[in-house]
Amino acid sequence: MIKALLLLAGAALVAFFLANRRKARAKAGVKIGFVLFVVFMVYAVIRPDDLTVVANSLGVQRGTDLVLYALVMGFAFVTVSTYVRFREQELRYARLARTIALQHALRPEDEADDRAMGPAPDDDDPLRR
Amino acid sequence: MNGDSERDTGLGGAGGDDPVRNRDVWLIVPCYNEGTVIEEVLSAARGTFPNIVAVDDGSADGSAAAIHRSGAHLVRHPVNLGQGAAIQTGVEYARAQPGARYFVTFDADGQHQVKDVLAMLARVRSEPVDIVVGTRFGRPREAGDQVPLIKRIVLRTVVLLSPRTRRLGLTDAHNGLRVFNRRVADELNLRMNGMSHASEFVELMDTHGWRVAEQPVDILYTEYSMSKGQSLLNGINILSDGFVGKRLPR
Repeated sequence: MIKALLLLAGAALVAFFLANRRKARAKAGVKIGFVLFVVFMVYAVIRPDDLTVVANSLGVQRGTDLVLYALVMGFAFVTVSTYVRFREQELRYARLARTIALQHALRPEDEADDRAMGPAPDDDDPLRR
Repeated sequence: MNGDSERDTGLGGAGGDDPVRNRDVWLIVPCYNEGTVIEEVLSAARGTFPNIVAVDDGSADGSAAAIHRSGAHLVRHPVNLGQGAAIQTGVEYARAQPGARYFVTFDADGQHQVKDVLAMLARVRSEPVDIVVGTRFGRPREAGDQVPLIKRIVLRTVVLLSPRTRRLGLTDAHNGLRVFNRRVADELNLRMNGMSHASEFVELMDTHGWRVAEQPVDILYTEYSMSKGQSLLNGINILSDGFVGKRLPR
């Protein structure tokens, strides 16, 4: 029962931060959350028994289990937010490339520059020479 | 190509297949590594439509040179971005051209046919619709139809799973052949770079309230276009894009 509540609370938190990501308050919230997370982990390393007390009060048997739940939640949050961030980056990059493409549009009557008409780099493996 | 002459009578409206009267039409052709077929496809289409912009989406073959030889306008993405991004680029180029009133998205691999475009154009010109979308399922199945069985099942399922598509009365969610007017072109803002743009198009129809109609079209599944067709697993990518789409900046 308490575990379901913990998971639900975590999911709600993730949803909240994803929905409001661009607002300054949510950004600050993420930073505060991270600091709290680190402090909590340092404390947990120093005094593992206290952690078990906290876990018991939440209905979880062992302190390590509580840490595991927190980590899983944190990992899920990082995965999703990184994915969304990459997609945002991709969109900006597409708009930049589009602007360049439109500036260099070639009309049928224009003379083709042989160098500009060559194949584009192979994108499947951009690091290949 | 098929014996159905009844559908061809729709061409009688304004425009027809006279190139001079189709000056207000722009064909937008996204192209990625289609160097072997693109010149032929564009040259054939130019017999009817004088204005074509082909967007070379960072092809690693000779597509760009082939497009230029065909007499179409060439816009080149410096890197590969995806079909959705290429369509958006093409529309932005075409809508900036003087006199552009109607816009067509057309595939580079020769699976779409000019006669279907003309019928759809006649409807956008004469009927109160903003956009006409091609459908592979708009009429009873005929012996000449070429849509492979597995593809039919998948495309049907996509439509069933999308309440929006059903509400708009669309039967084919992922048909690349579309004809639309100035209003749609001006409001179009595709943000999904890859293959999810078809779903995004449907979403935009809904949010902008564009008046939509469907037109049965024939898709030619050549061996070439089959080898480049979308893999069915790609449906999963499209679904996850639908989730991300709500979180991307406008």
